[in-house]
Amino acid sequence: MAINTKENKAAGGSFITTGTVLSLLALLALASVPSVVSSPYTLHLMILLFLSTIMGQSWNLIGGYTGQYSVGHAAYFGAGAYTTMILLQHFQIAPWYGALAGMGVALVVGLVVGSICFRLRGPYFVLASIAVAEILRLSAMNLKEITNGAEGILATDLPPFSIGGTVITDFSTKVPFYYIGLGLVVLTVVVTVAVQHSKLGYYFQAIREDQDAAHSLGINLSLYKNLALGLSAVLTSLAGSFYAIYVGFVDPPTVLGLDISVQIVLICIIGGIGTIYGPVVGSLVLVPLSEGLRSNLIASAIFETGIVSESSPVGNFLKENLAHAHALIYGILVVVVILFMPDGVLGFAKKLVSKRKGGRA
Amino acid sequence: MLVFSQSLISGLLIGGVYALIGIGLTIIFGVMRIINFAHGDIMMIGMYLTYNLFTLAGIDPFVSVAITIPIMFLFGALLQKVFINRVLNALPQNQILLTIGLGLIMSNTMMLIFTSDYQILTTSYSSSSFRLFHISISQPLAISFVITAGITALLYWFFMKTDTGQAIRATAQDRDAAQLMGINVKRMSIIAFGLGSSLAGTAGALISPTYYIFPQIGSTFTLKAFVITVLGGMGSILGATLGGILIGVAESMGAVYISSGWKDVVVFVLFLLVLVFKPSGLLGKSRA
Repeated sequence: MAINTKENKAAGGSFITTGTVLSLLALLALASVPSVVSSPYTLHLMILLFLSTIMGQSWNLIGGYTGQYSVGHAAYFGAGAYTTMILLQHFQIAPWYGALAGMGVALVVGLVVGSICFRLRGPYFVLASIAVAEILRLSAMNLKEITNGAEGILATDLPPFSIGGTVITDFSTKVPFYYIGLGLVVLTVVVTVAVQHSKLGYYFQAIREDQDAAHSLGINLSLYKNLALGLSAVLTSLAGSFYAIYVGFVDPPTVLGLDISVQIVLICIIGGIGTIYGPVVGSLVLVPLSEGLRSNLIASAIFETGIVSESSPVGNFLKENLAHAHALIYGILVVVVILFMPDGVLGFAKKLVSKRKGGRA
Repeated sequence: MLVFSQSLISGLLIGGVYALIGIGLTIIFGVMRIINFAHGDIMMIGMYLTYNLFTLAGIDPFVSVAITIPIMFLFGALLQKVFINRVLNALPQNQILLTIGLGLIMSNTMMLIFTSDYQILTTSYSSSSFRLFHISISQPLAISFVITAGITALLYWFFMKTDTGQAIRATAQDRDAAQLMGINVKRMSIIAFGLGSSLAGTAGALISPTYYIFPQIGSTFTLKAFVITVLGGMGSILGATLGGILIGVAESMGAVYISSGWKDVVVFVLFLLVLVFKPSGLLGKSRA
């Protein structure tokens, strides 16, 4: 156990100073993308990358830094997505308030999960986290009055976003979504970095390395595990809310399904868990691959016309037959990564580099 | 009273098949301490195998079990040899992720071949039933229960009386000690995974006349298999048998007395309760 995790720790701490400068430069470059690129498809791809990074980074807090492998993060993603959509459709509450409410709901779900699941360890924790997410999914299927059951909720229109009367955007293009996504990425990265370099982060990592040792040093296990989960749940729900308003449609399998939970874990595993750059690298590998596969087959046409056509009968048919086939690449990737690069792509690349330099850096 | 005994009987019958799935998972866990997240997907492959044997070759699903068992055994043994053996000493999380990945590959490959449409295997007796003391009993479920009971009995004999069976039990008890006693542990692992897979595949074959067949059915049954094995106590074959029947009954009671939409919620809530109050399971020994 120790060998793998030690490397993750080293990867997390090492290149922060140069990293900060590079990150700021990257942020500047990313912020100027919409003024240079006008293709909606490119923006769509970037938004998917952001979404994936937010999801991965949020999971990283509990799975990567604290070492609690939740395979039930769809619960929080779905909590955010559903709360936002329900408030928007039933009560005409703007999604930015809905997202706040979603964070509250996700936090409550997270605390319930924590109080049940953190008594358990290893595989039992994994199983319990899945069970909770499944209970939520089945509830969303059955509480038809609120959630519209298996049909899901389709958002009709987003209210324009305005501050004090001046309309800032009416969400007619992808640009506002691009900036919201970028903003959320920055938020999750900043939170992760802040946590990593605080006492909290050291407690988290101590729990990951050896629960019993951490406990014997006076670290309150259930308090800090719940803190990590709560933080992770709140950020994951933001990703869910963002997804909901961007796609404009939620139904139980797409936001609460086991697939989502697995996908969230894979983003980190493929990139390298417990590192800031892991989820970014994971997203850079996964999103283009699965999107490429999707569009290579048939769906590129759909995506160029935008998301709306997916709800048409033709779009639905394609979605049903193709949306899950791209998961094949996820399966193959995870098998390859686990067998050949257990520290993720990032860890693997580092190992290659240090080997070339002759010995470990 | 009639409704109660009716749902009890149908719960028992389907519980028999659940037990088979659970026993498969528990054997794999017992020998290798690996939780096989691809278990339901292996069962799904058994279903498609049965479906195709029926539609293409006209072999009755209950007869084709004789073909399904060896094929699924080989499939499982291959999985163990190529993939699982490599992660026996890896982090438990990585083992879980590997089997999740394998499951994804299985379900999506089947989807590309057979599309995600629901298939129905209709035999002449699919919807027929007979009456016993005013209780109607589904014929395919009754046949599958009899086959399940036979297979379970055979398994007990295998584990208790044969050398290989005892070697597998020894490996499950203490891997290192078994190796020191001259047991080929790797071989036992391959046999165990093969056995587990063939049990899952057989369960798939047995329920194919009564269930919809589609590539994504696996995850539901993977989760059910966990609930069953945790309920009975991880690694305990007797526990898995009991757990399977309990879950079958709980589901059918939940469907009758609450609603069919909520019956799976009943199962998962039961699961969480067991995890919280008796994580070692009903028949399991406490974990070290």
